[in-house]
Amino acid sequence: MTSVVSAGKKWGATLSSRPENVGLGVMLGLGLGAVALAAQWVKGPSSLLVAIAMLTMVVGLIYTAFAGGLEARKSLAPYGLLKPGMIWLCLFFLAPLWSMVVMSLSSKAGRFDFFPDFTWNFENYRIALTKFRPQFIRSFSYAGIATILTVVIGYPLAYFIAFRGGKYRNVLLGLVVVPFFTSYLIRTLAWNNILADEGPVVSLINTLHLTGVFETLDIMQNGKLMNTPAAVIGGLTYNFLPFMVLPIYVSLEKIDVRLVDAAMDLYSSASQAFRKVVLPLSLPGLFAGSLLVFIPAAGDFVNAQFLGNPQTTMIGNSIQDQFLRQLNYPVASAMSFVLMIIITIIVLIYTKFMGTEDLA
Amino acid sequence: MNTRRTTTPKSVQASRLNRRDFLIRGGLMGAGALSLPALLAACGSDSGSTADTVGGGGDSSLFFENWPGYMDEETIGLFQAASGVSLKYTEAFNDNNEYFAKIQPEMSKGKTIAPDILAPTFWMAARLVQLGWVQKLPKADIPNFVNLRDDLSGQSWDKNDEYHLPYQSGIAGIAYNSKITGRELKSVADLFDPAFKGKIGMLTEMRDTIGLILMGEGKKISDITTFDAASAGFDKLEKAKSEGQIRSFTGNDYVDDLSAGNFAACVAWSGDVLQLTKDNPDVKFIIPEEGGTSWYDTMVWMKGSQNGDAVAKWMNFLYDPVNAARLTSFVQYLSPVKGVQEELVKMGGDNAKLAEDPLLFPDAATFARLQSWGALAEEEEAKFDEAFASITGA
Repeated sequence: MTSVVSAGKKWGATLSSRPENVGLGVMLGLGLGAVALAAQWVKGPSSLLVAIAMLTMVVGLIYTAFAGGLEARKSLAPYGLLKPGMIWLCLFFLAPLWSMVVMSLSSKAGRFDFFPDFTWNFENYRIALTKFRPQFIRSFSYAGIATILTVVIGYPLAYFIAFRGGKYRNVLLGLVVVPFFTSYLIRTLAWNNILADEGPVVSLINTLHLTGVFETLDIMQNGKLMNTPAAVIGGLTYNFLPFMVLPIYVSLEKIDVRLVDAAMDLYSSASQAFRKVVLPLSLPGLFAGSLLVFIPAAGDFVNAQFLGNPQTTMIGNSIQDQFLRQLNYPVASAMSFVLMIIITIIVLIYTKFMGTEDLA
Repeated sequence: MNTRRTTTPKSVQASRLNRRDFLIRGGLMGAGALSLPALLAACGSDSGSTADTVGGGGDSSLFFENWPGYMDEETIGLFQAASGVSLKYTEAFNDNNEYFAKIQPEMSKGKTIAPDILAPTFWMAARLVQLGWVQKLPKADIPNFVNLRDDLSGQSWDKNDEYHLPYQSGIAGIAYNSKITGRELKSVADLFDPAFKGKIGMLTEMRDTIGLILMGEGKKISDITTFDAASAGFDKLEKAKSEGQIRSFTGNDYVDDLSAGNFAACVAWSGDVLQLTKDNPDVKFIIPEEGGTSWYDTMVWMKGSQNGDAVAKWMNFLYDPVNAARLTSFVQYLSPVKGVQEELVKMGGDNAKLAEDPLLFPDAATFARLQSWGALAEEEEAKFDEAFASITGA
């Protein structure tokens, strides 16, 4: 008996002497427990055991903090501060991700089998990658073009506001954000009226006899602007433009204008000053902006649904259909996971070439 | 109803309904005031008989989840006053598939959801029956059951009308903008006229779109139980899509495209176009000579709900022709209740005009041209949905 007590004391003493290990251990333990509970690795009575284990860890942590004194508490603090974020991440990212991956490898017994069995069913991934390849390719091309367009439109706009906005800076910036006060859907649907066959834009193009030019550029199809790839890409560009303007503005705004003056003093031309000074300094904003535009645009389904035609559907539309209409949760999960992986790869490559120290 | 509301965002829909509500309500107010004494009398006798048969005393409660803009507030108030049931009425049933996805996690685990009554479209109701997620209605306590329109009784998926009562019904046909077409349209074949290339709209509601095309091919859709029997319709639609004949597949939002002239013609729902025609006389609705599809939304009693008495009182109330007529004058769809036409005439004014509307009260010849889908088996329905998705591009 006494040996057990002394062993316990010794163990306690060891722990107290290494409080940072306790902090790290408890953080990982709690995270693991949270995932185990949320992703339903454990069910029923055993989930109670996990909960008790997690509680014990917390008690142990508190004990360590009190027994070890100020020094121990100091070395525990960083892990303590990390814990809320870590547990959040485990509960709302890792656990759902785990469930999604498990679902993507499951198979259904029938259409209304709502509890597919995990069977290492890679067929779902084959379907996702073959049957829906056109939608994947389309999504990334549309999102890519939209990202480039937002840079082309957004950079000069941000530049103007940052350097020429003067006292109207905040007003102009506000105007960029104002469309957000309206619902995303309404903003998208409004284009339906603007680009309608009998609408103002098409009429103007017809009056100017430019229809042929637009058709050659493949912006118009059969004299239509609406329900074309151009309309979908245009919708994406419009809807995500502020996500490009704001980060670029922030990085431009930080630039000390005297740096440009200095470049000019050293006999650089205006364009050289821009290329050598302003542009490199604004790259972090450009980088952040492209990610903020590209990632949601690739998964978007609203623009394709309301501005597109049956030949312009994006992967988001297909995932929605698989999930809600076909009730094919395994394939929908596989598609979502593939989408995530491809986006991650693209972002990693992009970071490698474009990334700046601020963000990478 | 069903995906009438699918792809239309709630906010847009609300705004559109509001616009219409203004038009409707103007007339309603007057008519409602005139017929109020009659209504109250009817409700009084109504609740008396229900109380006798059900024998339920005390206050009970009921939760009805319906489609947006699908019921007037007056009806709710009158029912509560007459029955003593406190009715919780919400309109979150926006889309059959989405709502199914929402209740699926609980229902599939045998748990009970909050609403007692839902308003799924017939095919979704059939699915709920098949899954055993709904209970048999307390028909003995719903004497007004006898008022159910004959053509809606004895559906293939609920032969003895045990599990559902229709809530409202409607017709899918063809709507066209005569300014764009430049001629009258008559048949389903007109949708495939090359002159309208890129100007044709189809509904994302598979049964209405494919049903109409199949009727154009001379098929009888009520007899179709397998995908193979319907494949001709899918082939025709696929061909039209790849040739660029079809501009887009839409939910409720087709009304905007039609009105704006983006669509020359499209598959459409009668109730929508009735309203649209008032604003834009160029827009017309026809039931093609080959026939139109008829759909209906239902009321089903969800499994696990304990409020059988209140359910009976509520359904009995809605199947009273007086109450049904008031609902019709608000929602302007085909009422499943017999005797509504007569009641509308009695209400006078704009309502009497509604009683003469051939799209609200089709004559026998028109009725004969309408067809509705039967139930599709689980795996067959999956084939239909998949084939349709691959055509719509999803």
